[in-house]
Amino acid sequence: MTTECKIGVYVCSCGTNIGKMVDCDAVTGYTKNLPGVAVCKSYKYMCSNPGQEMIVKDIQRYGLDRVVVAACSPRMHEPTFRAAISHGGLNPYYLEMANIREQCSWVHDDHQQATDKAKALTCAAVKRVPFHEPFDMQSVPMNSASLVIGGGVAGLTAALELADANQPVYLVEKDGKLGGNLARIDLTSPYLDSAKDLLAERICRVTKNPKITVMLNSEVESISGYVGNFKAQIKSNGEAVTDIEIGSIIVCTGFREFDASKVGEYGYGRFPNVVTSFDLEKMLKEGRVVMKDGKTPKYVTIINCVGSRSGKYNRYCSRVCCMTALKYANGIKSAAPDAFITNLYTDMNAFGKGCEDFYRRSAERDTIFMMFDKHAPPTVSAAGKGEHFNMLVKVNEILSGEEVEIPADMVVLMVGMEAREDSMNVARLVNISRDKDGWFIESHPKLDPVATSTDGVFIAGACASPKDIPDTVAQARATTARILAKICQGEIWVEPVYAEINEDLCSGCRVCNELCPYSAIDYDPVKKRSAIISVMCKSCGGCVAGCPSGAIKARHFTDKQIFEQIEGVLEWASSRA
Amino acid sequence: MDKKKLQIALYWGAACGGCDVSVLDTNEFILDIAAACDIHMWPIAHDGKYKDIEALEDGFLDLAMYNGAVRNSENEHIAHLLRKKSKVMVAYGSCAHIGGIPGLANTFTREEIFESAYLKNPSIQEGNKTVPQPQTEVDGGELTIPAFYKRVYKLDDVVDVDYYIPGCPPAPEQCKAVLSLIVSGQPLPPKGSVVGASERALCEDCQRKKDEKMIKQFFRPWQIIQDPEKCLLEQGIVCAGSATRSGCGVRCPDSNMPCRGCYGPMPNVVDQGAKIISSVSSIIDSQDPEEIDKILSGIHDITGYAYRFGMAGSLLQRSVR
Amino acid sequence: MGFEPRIVGFLCNWCSYTGADLAGTSRIKYQPNVSIIRVMCSARIDPTFVLKALSMGADGVVICGCHPVDCHYISGNYKAMRRFPLLKKLLKEFGVEDERVRLEWVSASEGQRFSEVINDMTDKIRALGPSKIRVQLDADKVER
Repeated sequence: MTTECKIGVYVCSCGTNIGKMVDCDAVTGYTKNLPGVAVCKSYKYMCSNPGQEMIVKDIQRYGLDRVVVAACSPRMHEPTFRAAISHGGLNPYYLEMANIREQCSWVHDDHQQATDKAKALTCAAVKRVPFHEPFDMQSVPMNSASLVIGGGVAGLTAALELADANQPVYLVEKDGKLGGNLARIDLTSPYLDSAKDLLAERICRVTKNPKITVMLNSEVESISGYVGNFKAQIKSNGEAVTDIEIGSIIVCTGFREFDASKVGEYGYGRFPNVVTSFDLEKMLKEGRVVMKDGKTPKYVTIINCVGSRSGKYNRYCSRVCCMTALKYANGIKSAAPDAFITNLYTDMNAFGKGCEDFYRRSAERDTIFMMFDKHAPPTVSAAGKGEHFNMLVKVNEILSGEEVEIPADMVVLMVGMEAREDSMNVARLVNISRDKDGWFIESHPKLDPVATSTDGVFIAGACASPKDIPDTVAQARATTARILAKICQGEIWVEPVYAEINEDLCSGCRVCNELCPYSAIDYDPVKKRSAIISVMCKSCGGCVAGCPSGAIKARHFTDKQIFEQIEGVLEWASSRA
Repeated sequence: MDKKKLQIALYWGAACGGCDVSVLDTNEFILDIAAACDIHMWPIAHDGKYKDIEALEDGFLDLAMYNGAVRNSENEHIAHLLRKKSKVMVAYGSCAHIGGIPGLANTFTREEIFESAYLKNPSIQEGNKTVPQPQTEVDGGELTIPAFYKRVYKLDDVVDVDYYIPGCPPAPEQCKAVLSLIVSGQPLPPKGSVVGASERALCEDCQRKKDEKMIKQFFRPWQIIQDPEKCLLEQGIVCAGSATRSGCGVRCPDSNMPCRGCYGPMPNVVDQGAKIISSVSSIIDSQDPEEIDKILSGIHDITGYAYRFGMAGSLLQRSVR
Repeated sequence: MGFEPRIVGFLCNWCSYTGADLAGTSRIKYQPNVSIIRVMCSARIDPTFVLKALSMGADGVVICGCHPVDCHYISGNYKAMRRFPLLKKLLKEFGVEDERVRLEWVSASEGQRFSEVINDMTDKIRALGPSKIRVQLDADKVER
């Protein structure tokens, strides 16, 4: 096989990014003598138009049937060069990249050693690429209906967006009413619009829209199938089960608030007038901010970062609390005009549109801001007998360097956001991953923030990470753009890289059956064979390594290809020794 | 000597004799063989001498079937001799195919083996320090015995092999089928083929019911009362059946013993033991490292499970010393 | 130049390979002894790959995958987690030193940690000396 191949090898110096540390001419000099290599060139920017053109022309001129590009990470430019060789008339999977930048020139500081390693990595690619096989994208039909899990602002927005485009939606909400966490909120920051107004209009439109089937008191029981062709079972009111068929799933399950009683020094649960931000929202919605005894508080202390940005609880920032706390200064002032408000914060994160102005306006009003070190949080204790206030908050104010004691009738804890307690179940249900904090993981944090590792399953809003309303709404709409694009195409193209079982070698031992995280392996009890449903396979290769009979092949990551790479990296090393 | 007859020789290297018995176990068929063939050497049944083989023209024999591993210089010498004199050389049985049980000795050095067998063995008379030497001076003359190699080799490590018939021993019916094919003069499969065995794993022919597999505890066969209908692996008994070619007739699982892998790796598999390790551990029902360790502690002698027969044919072939 | 270990690294695409790329974009320097082979998930790493690398002359093999719970494929890394101790048990019986084969969890954000793993492993194997596996296998062909 190797002798029949005509491989073109292109060594990129990436300006000086590679060339400064790796002697690219030495790499080409070594590589051009490897078996199967028909042409080997070095160029300053392979990813540039002239660089890509060079490959396209060489494919024709030399009749190349395989291409190796030794350049940056394949995670960076594999799609670029696949497109280029495809343009040159080769199947895109006839490409192999050697990562001589991120994993070589950028991380080593010895020219000789870096050059040697670049040779080894290129040798591995040259040995691997003859064993590449051509693949074509696979097409499956697209069901235009969608399932939206969660009826908060994200779910409502997504459902409306799809229904407005005339596509059917099933909106499943665990609770007895729509609105989610936003329904627990009074005003929104920074413009102090009413949350109720934002929601009411949406809920009204959702419930009236004939394209949207709202299922309250309902939970998704099971999901099977794959992108474009899912089947789900919805259990309503604990019993009735509805079977639905959908093409896409949007997970909008939101967040839960941090349990403030975990932070002992703040006295939540011990002192009746230590309340959480959500307790205060409830009061604000009712239009009266009062203590447990019904009196209006005179001194209100707001403590930020409760459970957030902490080594002990959650390390991340919950993003919305700072602006929410500013909002409270206004709200409390309206309900209790004489109140004296202190805002204890670690950093004031006013990143959003209009937020910095909002901070300035709030600071100009009667709020005292005090900064504390997140490693030395304030403490709340009962006030001494006979004091005219009922609690004492002690804080090491770091800007002044002084220890300050603040009287308080009410302490408001700005509790952060946490992944919901059922996020693990949801993740399993729709086959997506969670990070260490329990948030759902996006396909790419920057470039693909609403897709997930499972095709056809999207995430929006605070189930993926703490988010404010605008970001949540933007994400919800983004998911629908992705779905509508697929619906418009009518069919979906799925990556042809998956695992496949060679029926002639499968003995039906069923070792692989439990290994697939996507339930893509089907066992046929009559034929006594296992088979992989290719569109459901995500090509992790777990079954391939686990198959005792060697009957499963991982497309594009075959045993043979990997053996060649192993030999390649070590062959260079052996020849040097 | 009838030149129309097939000219054959059978030999045992480092073997237990079971392979030869498996040929005899073809029962009356052996008479057909005797009628169709001239047997030039078969130590267990026929009085052929090395010098008789040496006297033959090169390539004279139509078929040589070599069973047993290559443990010493005599095994290798005869392997070379038979190769030279034969048109077709067959590695017969697990030992010739992949090293077999003798291959397990590759976890020890020659010195350790000698120490255990000749110096520390309880049956050795005290003070007797005799260890086999290839050459010994006796009364002014030199006596030689074959040199004991530092490790065990499979047959194709020392000579070119045309076909492999796996099994410890090969099932007599498989032996019969292969010999019949050769006697019939029909075209032979491509060189290097494993013959007399299936392309599928033992599970194909094992009648036990197979289900999805998740294991919480491993057992040795005697530690539990088996469900005779159920897959042994699912019951926590390390069975190599799914990593082993079928062809034996499911002798072990049908006798309530797990497959030990004597028919060798599947066609696409490079290392049978690695596959046994990979598959058996994949189906452990735990995501907790400590619990996984605890479950794995139920597997004693992993080398024995992974390479009961395939050590010499594995990637590492022997332990590192 | 003294002994320079040859280490083969098998890295999962989503966490560890990305983490190694991050070490690059962050210009974190580490020793050049490891050559990386990318697989989609640590679950793809067949113990055969490790044995193959060792038999081909690798002085060490490092397998890197996503941290437990964090797997891109939900539970792929648990398969690596289950296979690894059994493989290690076997390697121990074969006399392969503990330091030579490692399983490490490296996330996409742990470029620094990746460099530390590689440096630590390279140092330890350099101190341990070359692997005898390949040398022995080659010698076995010549001298019985």
